[in-house]
Amino acid sequence: MSSETAQPGFWARVQRTSVERLHIRLESLLVLLGLSAAMALLSPFFLSLSNFLNILLATSTIGVLAIAATFVIGSGGLDLSLGSVMGLAGVMGAFVVVNLGWPSVFLVIVCILAGGIAGYINGQLVTRAFVPAFIVTLGMLGLARGLALVISQGRAIYGLPPEIVYIGQGRPFGIPMPVIIFVLTAIVAHAVLAYTRFGRHTLALGDSEGAARAAGIRVEHHRRIIYTLSGALAGLAGLLFTARVNAGDPTAGINYELTAITAAIIGGTNLFGGRASILGTMIGALIMGVLQNGLTLLAVQSYYQQMAIGAVLILAVFIDQYQVRKESRV
Amino acid sequence: MTAFMPKINRFTLAFGVALAMSAIGAAKAEDGEYGVLMKTLANPFWGAMAQGVADGAKEAGVKYFQQAAESDQAAEPQLNLCNTMLERKPVAMITAAINSTNLLPCLKSAQDAGIKIVDLDNNLDQAVLDKEGVKVTFHIGSDNVAAGAQGAEYLVSKLGKDAKGPVLVIEGLSGNITGEKRAKGFADKLKELAPGLQIVASLPGDWDRNKSASIATDTLTAHPDLVAIFCANDTMALGAVESIYAGGKGEQVTIIGVDGNVDAVKSIKEGRLNASVAQLPYLVGKQAVENVKKALAGEKVEESVAVPTLVLTKDLIDAGKEPMLQYVK
Repeated sequence: MSSETAQPGFWARVQRTSVERLHIRLESLLVLLGLSAAMALLSPFFLSLSNFLNILLATSTIGVLAIAATFVIGSGGLDLSLGSVMGLAGVMGAFVVVNLGWPSVFLVIVCILAGGIAGYINGQLVTRAFVPAFIVTLGMLGLARGLALVISQGRAIYGLPPEIVYIGQGRPFGIPMPVIIFVLTAIVAHAVLAYTRFGRHTLALGDSEGAARAAGIRVEHHRRIIYTLSGALAGLAGLLFTARVNAGDPTAGINYELTAITAAIIGGTNLFGGRASILGTMIGALIMGVLQNGLTLLAVQSYYQQMAIGAVLILAVFIDQYQVRKESRV
Repeated sequence: MTAFMPKINRFTLAFGVALAMSAIGAAKAEDGEYGVLMKTLANPFWGAMAQGVADGAKEAGVKYFQQAAESDQAAEPQLNLCNTMLERKPVAMITAAINSTNLLPCLKSAQDAGIKIVDLDNNLDQAVLDKEGVKVTFHIGSDNVAAGAQGAEYLVSKLGKDAKGPVLVIEGLSGNITGEKRAKGFADKLKELAPGLQIVASLPGDWDRNKSASIATDTLTAHPDLVAIFCANDTMALGAVESIYAGGKGEQVTIIGVDGNVDAVKSIKEGRLNASVAQLPYLVGKQAVENVKKALAGEKVEESVAVPTLVLTKDLIDAGKEPMLQYVK
């Protein structure tokens, strides 16, 4: 008996361990590290604590949306309304506090609640009206953006109370608040997706709805929860954005849903459901963050930056598919 | 080991692509470098301004690096760009903020780091800056109220101060300060110079060619004797021109835009659009760099630098004698 078959090689063992334990693909982590190394070599400004925090800060809103995208896509769904719902939530939160004079805490509550309600409506329409998720959330994309513009009359609602601005601009221990909230959200989301029954059911649903139903999972109910969660996370992203720029901006988050979905896909989430990992998504989001940050430090024009991100997306999925096909051959 | 090899190759490929992308236009940071942060270059107005910055920097012998957001609505991405640009430790940040608040956290950090801040094209609101405790070295841009007023002056010079008839104003995006100033400048000056010219409607065209065309058509239906249309930018003016000509009233209605962009100049040359109040963004960019250099050298710079505007008409362009014409880009 050859040792090849009995004992998998070192590389395969490392990969299997990482995939099973941390639910990530080693490839994406290597791309992130390699990209960081390249940027560090090219720019003397890349390797510093303040720049590292900049990258995390720049990734935080998109990162929270990407967490939402990971749950939805992992369950075999799609949420194209993330960016618009984020904008709507921020505007509604700012509206009740600035224009109606409610206490600051309502900004937090209204943001997350508004997002959750929009998500719940998405979920109801997908599961009860049998409208495809693509159409439902595309419709919500327009509805939420329009409503945000109506409420704010097209202009940003500026001037939030200091404690809200602290959520966006404060730096306890030198770490920006949005980064803290983003990282905590990611940890909780990772634990939920990787270690709880809710998480296993989510992926089972994405793998095969029929099998999930046969296994006794309440498919529709579960889907509604996932869309509501997705909306609530978009609301949280709206809160971070609003607090950061000190204004409820009706144009906030335009096209963010696409960036969030890209992060999830780069991180190894299967676009058709069944396979997803929050840690992978975070790596995906950071790949884009590092790329954007590094290219900016190198004074590369934004057009090339967009090209680079597009190229990385295709490359990441190519590598991923290559691995999947190789595994299925074994 | 053999199984390991192709993997290495794929990653070499991945890094290769990433490195190649990074190498495009890559530059090392220089001492005394200026950071220039634009809204978006996907608009000829900002393109001309960027050209002005480039030429101004070349003439002044200063180094700069420039970034722009992907669209004029990418408020948060622009803030991220700004924060990242600070890492290069520029001596000055010349910024054209997408709105009056989105860059504030970054500008505060810049101020703390002793970096001079310049408000390009007057996008920052002084009241907000004061409230936030951010001190801008100078604001530079065109005076939008004056640009609107110049539009009114042109109209009155063409029609005479005793002229009578309905006038339409097409505003920019509701809530946009630039459009509001232009429309107000026009309306106030018109009232002062020729009270017989009545503004019968002042509607937001959202900077949109198509929307503006529809507004012009509808207004012409309601007021067949319409004498003039003032639009808060050229894009909308060009939309209005087309629908007025389509309605057969091209000779009767005087149409004025603001910006002086390439398409507007073309339309004026063809005798369709009557006039455009050119903002000379090229000059704004050029003078911004020149003034930063002065400020860094310790010379006094006005807190608000107004770059002149120029009323472009067919006669002026055809004569080609106006020295400022060279800045219409």
